[in-house]
Order: sequence, then structure tokens, then C-alpha cells
Amino acid sequence: MTGIVDSAGPADSAALLDIRDLHVNVAGQQVLRGISLAIGAGEVHAIMGPNGSGKSTLAHVLAGRPGYQIVSGSVSFEGRDLLALAPEQRARAGLFLGFQYPVEIPGVNNAYLLKAALNAARRERALAELDAFEFLAMVRAKIKLMQIDESFLSRGVNEGFSGGEKKRNEILQMLVLEPKLALLDETDSGLDIDALKVVANGINTLRGAQHAIVLVTHYQRMLDYVVPDYVHVLARGRIVRSGDRTLALELEKRGYDWVSGQAAA
Amino acid sequence: MVASMLPAAAAAPRSATLERIMSDYQAVASSLPDAPLTRDARLHAMRELSRLGWPKASDEQWRYTNLRAFEAVATFGPAALARPPAAAPAPATLPAPATLSVPELPPVLSGFERLVYIDGVRHPGTAGATADLAANDWPAEQRLGLLCEMFASDVAALRIRGHAAIEVLFLTSAAATGASCYPRLQVALEPGSELQLVERHLGAPEAPTLVCANIEVELGRGSRLMHYRLQQCGLQTAFADTLYARLAEESSYSVRQVTIGAACARTSAQVRLAGRGAALSWQGIAVGRGQQVHDTALKVEHLAAGTRTEEVFRGIADERARIAFGGDIHVAASAPGSDTRQSLRGLIEGAGAEVDLRPRLQIDTDEVKAQHGATTGALDENLMFYLLARGIDRDSARALLKWAFLGDVLRAIELPEVRRAAEHGAAGQLPDIMAIGALTGALT
Repeated sequence: MTGIVDSAGPADSAALLDIRDLHVNVAGQQVLRGISLAIGAGEVHAIMGPNGSGKSTLAHVLAGRPGYQIVSGSVSFEGRDLLALAPEQRARAGLFLGFQYPVEIPGVNNAYLLKAALNAARRERALAELDAFEFLAMVRAKIKLMQIDESFLSRGVNEGFSGGEKKRNEILQMLVLEPKLALLDETDSGLDIDALKVVANGINTLRGAQHAIVLVTHYQRMLDYVVPDYVHVLARGRIVRSGDRTLALELEKRGYDWVSGQAAA
Repeated sequence: MVASMLPAAAAAPRSATLERIMSDYQAVASSLPDAPLTRDARLHAMRELSRLGWPKASDEQWRYTNLRAFEAVATFGPAALARPPAAAPAPATLPAPATLSVPELPPVLSGFERLVYIDGVRHPGTAGATADLAANDWPAEQRLGLLCEMFASDVAALRIRGHAAIEVLFLTSAAATGASCYPRLQVALEPGSELQLVERHLGAPEAPTLVCANIEVELGRGSRLMHYRLQQCGLQTAFADTLYARLAEESSYSVRQVTIGAACARTSAQVRLAGRGAALSWQGIAVGRGQQVHDTALKVEHLAAGTRTEEVFRGIADERARIAFGGDIHVAASAPGSDTRQSLRGLIEGAGAEVDLRPRLQIDTDEVKAQHGATTGALDENLMFYLLARGIDRDSARALLKWAFLGDVLRAIELPEVRRAAEHGAAGQLPDIMAIGALTGALT
């Protein structure tokens, strides 16, 4: 069984990702206050919540961003202690973070980054590195899917990209790396409806038995296109409610005050 | 006596180094040729240097230069003296480098004429040119130019009418070890002319050796000069180059400077935008490691209306290296409508490393556009995390970001062969760059 688990219960041995009673501080302030969540392979979870609820923090803590103090709790990924791994080890193990604000790195071209990232992951899986020809053939199909101009490969990472292009580039990277778990941090923010459909189409392409997806989002509109198996609502650093797709629709109708009030109770 | 030639009232107290310079000059004065610099010109330079004194670390203009590296050379006397032109016709090719004990020559640039100067003196096997610019009066912050004028015995002098592409290699040979070399380069472009010029300094002496170069540039009305400057001397070299450029109306001067070699390198440059609409684009990188010191002092003077400056500098100090860049821009009252843009950035990589950026802007007129920024710091942690989150290992991520940091300037080198030479030179200064096998794709 996956989905939300009771913090006092036994670890879910079948889960791809198993978060247990995770407490995290930032600069002495409690940001996550006892998160427990299990995610199985092939599942799509949406984590929703008002601003400041801790949902982006959760994604970044899982990816290993420095600056967070793990106070207590555990996170296992395929049975390994995720919190003991460096960010690059987590990525190579199959965890992908899609950034809300992807950075620009002029001078490092997209093709190089994609190839270096892919080959790092392939080495981890004891697979042969792709040569330039195989790599290009593979990337071209995915570029087309994401409706990105091929010339972007020779441009600097996100250099001069619009907000929508940056998000499409994040999903392209995800499709190239084929992670076991994709954490997509507000990938829908700042997208117009056409770009949202392209991004959602990319996410749905990854969907399958081998890949779990966590959509961190403020709004439910993304969930019209990527329909989650589970929806969790985060407020004040805790999961205050879990359910299926209908929970997101109810939130849309009733607003976050409805669940925030429950968290405060 | 040399001392008797000096105006006593103006002389500053002499440092031990200045005493040595004077004494070394006396020792070789009778051997120095009367052309291209006359004896009077040399004496004038000596008097000026004596009046200004040898630079001190307490001088603001010199505080970032490692003067001790210059003072450590055994003799200021020139390692080589120019010979009269050979009567026999020049051979078509240079003798093999091994027989000259000079560094391996880089591949010839396609479409470029190559001039080779060894230890500051034209190699007899290559084409030469005659001097025709008058000696310069170097100001205090450029006083090492005076040292070159005292001792130089040759010059690469280029007067261009029409279009040309010329590469000048200044090599330091093994014979110069422990002594001094005085390369000189003079470039005059006639109105409307265009020149692509590559100036490259190479050589790896085995003991402290001084290379003290003067570069003088005169751009006629509407002329265009693209000047690539690569300093790749060995770590026993104390390198100083002093550059003066004067730009006439509507002329354009683009400099792409790559400083990676020498124990201590000091560039003292002064560019005068004297004619209406004259434009300077100066883009430079300096990459230092170990205990290298790279110091650039660039002074730009806007003297006429509608003149433009674009100044970009990127410096990386690794290990215990020190990188300094002083960018001094003065817009005179006679230069309304001028436009200056200055972007200076430094990256501190080593625990004992230092980067000092000093933008200075003085504007004495109205209607001027001025943008300037200077930032120094460590690698951006957000960028680091982004690469780590893609599975790139930490060393490679650092190397990539350092490479990206230099990217603006490296990409501005339009000539592919020179860009490759600059990239390989810079990569050689960043040991972890080469560890990223795939990055060699970016280096081809």
C-alpha cells in the first residue's frame, strides 16, 4: 500500500520513496513538522498547499539542497537512506527535481548538460555511455515532443529563455534522464494554456510503471491534464489531508482556508 | 656618469632597483643601436624613469603588482641586441625551433602574415618592418614603458594601408633566462584601413626573466583594428606590457586580451578616444593559479563627442593567486554624448586567492550614458545545486561553472584559431576542466 501512512506505523517496504515523520528547520524556523508519505513506482501524487506551507521545501530537501536542517525523521529511496546521499548521488540514483525557477548558465550549452547528466546516470546504472550520434537521435525526438527549436541545443542552459521555455526545458531534461521519481516543483506556474498542455503532455509521456511523479502545485489546473492518483494538502509543514483527484477539485471550490483551518486545529 | 645627465632637482630618491637599472644601462649603452630608438630618446626615457622613481607597493597604481618578481631578475640588460638587416635574402621558413631553443611555435594562422621576434629582436629568417612612430611620453602609471625604451633594440612596426592580417609572435628563448627582453610593437592604421592583429607572448625560461613590452597604436580616421593579445609566458617570467592607443574620428579598436602566463603580469594600458565617434571594445580574461599575480590597469579617456567604450573583464583566482583589474574611465568636458559600459567580474576559487576590481568613472560633461558594475565572489551556489541535481559530480560542476564564467569573453574572440588557443590556454589553468572528458567538445 502506498499513499499516506501513519507516522507511527511500519515503513512501507514496497514504496519507492518512503518519508517518515520528517522534521526540517530553515534558519532555526520549523518548516516541515512531521511529514510522512509513501510513494510507489508508477504513481502520480500531487502535493498542494498555500504559499509557505512547505511544499517546495519538501521537494528541495528530497533533492538535497543545502541550507536545510533535518531535525528528525527518515527518507528512504528504494530502501536506501536518501538523506545520506549527496545531491548528485540522489540524481544518479533516479531522483529528478524540476525547478520552479530554473537557473540560466550562459557558457554551458544545453546539449553538453543533457549529455553529461545522461551519461552520469547511465554510468550509475552500469550502462554504456551514449556516443554523440546516439545521443542526438534520442534527444531530437524529445525536443520535438516538447516543441522546442533544435537550435536550443547549442545555446547556453536557459540563456535568454522565456519562463515557458525554461519549464519546457526542465521537462525535456526529465524525459532524457527518465528518472524513477520526478519531483516537479510548480512546473505549471507562469505557463499559458498552450505551454501548460505541452508540459503536461511531456509529463504524461514519462508516466508508466517504472516512473513515479510528484507534482508540487498551488493550483489544480495542471491536474486537469496530468491526473494524479493521490492528492495531498500541505499546511504549516504537515500533510493535513490526503485523497484522490476529487480533493483537488474540492480545494478549488472551497479554497485553502478550508484545510488550513483544520491544520491549525 | 649617468647621474650627471639627470636634472638633480627633479630626481626622486633612488631605490636599489633603480640604481641597478641605471648601472645595467651604463653597462650596455654603447652596444645599443641608434635606431629605432636614438640615444637621446633612451636618455630621455631614463631621466623620466629616474624622475618618477621605481614603482612602490605603496603607490595606489602599483599596489596589486608583485614588484618583487620584477626586481628578482639578474640583469635589466637585454638578452639580445638587434643585428643589422642581413644582406642575404631571408629564408622562407624558420629553422627548427629546437635549434633556437625557443618554445614550439603555434600553427600558422590561415591568411595571416607571421612576424617572429625572439627575445625582443626580429628573427632574421622572417619578414620585418621599419619603425616610424615617435617615442612616447609614458605617464607614471605606465612608467615601465620607459624601461622598455631604455633597452629595446628592435621594433615590430606596422603601417597599414588597406586591409591586412598579421600575427606577431614574441618568443623568449632559453638564452634569455635570467636576463631581460624588450619587445616593441607599433601599429599605425591609415584612414579607412583595417587590421586583424594577433600579438602573442610565449616562452618558458628556467630562471626569473623579465619581458617588458611596449605597444603603441595609432588609428587613423575610420580605421578598424581587431587586436588579439595572448600572454602565455612561463612561470619564471615577470611580464609587463605597456600599451598606448590613440583613436581618431570614427575609428574602432577592439582588444581581446587573454592573460594566463607568467609569475607576475602587469598590463598598463591607456586608450585615448581623441576623435568624434571613436569606439573602444576591451574584453579580457585573466586566470591565475598557484601564486600568480595578474594586474591590469586600463585607463580610457573620452576626449571627443559621441565616443564609446565597452569594457568587460572576467578574472578567476585559484589557489593563492591574485587578480586585479583597475578600469579607469574619464569622460572629458569635450566629450558630450559619450557612452561607457563596464562589466567587471571576479571569481575567487582558492582559500588564499584574491580578486581586486576597481571601476572608476569620472564624468565632466552632461548627456553621458554610463553603466558600470563590478562583482567579486565565489561560485553561485544556486548554479552549483542545479548542476548537482542533474547528477553532475561536484568537481565537474565547479569546472563547468568556471568555464561558463569566462564564456562571455571567450565567445567574443571571433577568430576560431585564436579562440581555440585562448580556450586551451584557459583550460590549462583550470586543472579540473580537463577532467571533464566531454568538455573537450567545447574546446574544439
